[in-house]
Amino acid sequence: MGRRPPITNRVRELRDQNGEMTQAQLGKAIGVTRQTIIAIEQNRYSPSLETAFLIARLFDVCLDDVFQWNDEGQT
Amino acid sequence: MAFHEKSAWLMAVSLLLAGGLYYWVVVTLSIEVNRPVPPLVPLVVAYTVLLTVLAVVGHIAIAVLAPRNSSSVLDERERLIARRASHAASYVMGVGTLVSLGIYLFYQSGDLLFHSVFASLMLSQISEYLVQIVYFRTSV
Repeated sequence: MGRRPPITNRVRELRDQNGEMTQAQLGKAIGVTRQTIIAIEQNRYSPSLETAFLIARLFDVCLDDVFQWNDEGQT
Repeated sequence: MAFHEKSAWLMAVSLLLAGGLYYWVVVTLSIEVNRPVPPLVPLVVAYTVLLTVLAVVGHIAIAVLAPRNSSSVLDERERLIARRASHAASYVMGVGTLVSLGIYLFYQSGDLLFHSVFASLMLSQISEYLVQIVYFRTSV
């Protein structure tokens, strides 16, 4: 409980680049709550593969452009 | 705060309040008669009614105050939180049941067995909502 997942992301940055989309709008578009988007952006939750792909497809980028594995986060 | 987190807070507080009142009466009566009182049907009914009223009124209040979120179904993170909290609560119930059986072995009191199992059930439910709240506020 409380361990941060070793995955970082650029969701916040991509939202800003796409017309300053709000967390609520992104959440609605991919079928999760605003609080889950907040948790993803703060690296408190690693989304499922399906949600990760939905986010990448929504922003029209590759999965790697949204999520990155962070080796330091594993310790 | 998401609807389901508010709901977890409401249920945790309601269970603590109703359970606290229930066991305050049980302990007070038991001290008066100097032995564990038998399970009292009116008291169990009062506990159930109080808990139901608190839960229903509380959820209506939450829904009225934030109508946009009130009908939201659990998303993937909330489902994971619910599953982990339920898993943790099952351990509390299991340990409580073992302790209750131990109490029965030593005291041979069916009344005490009822109270300890009922307490285990309450603690299990309370812990489920508390674990949910912790997961909602930290990493999952």
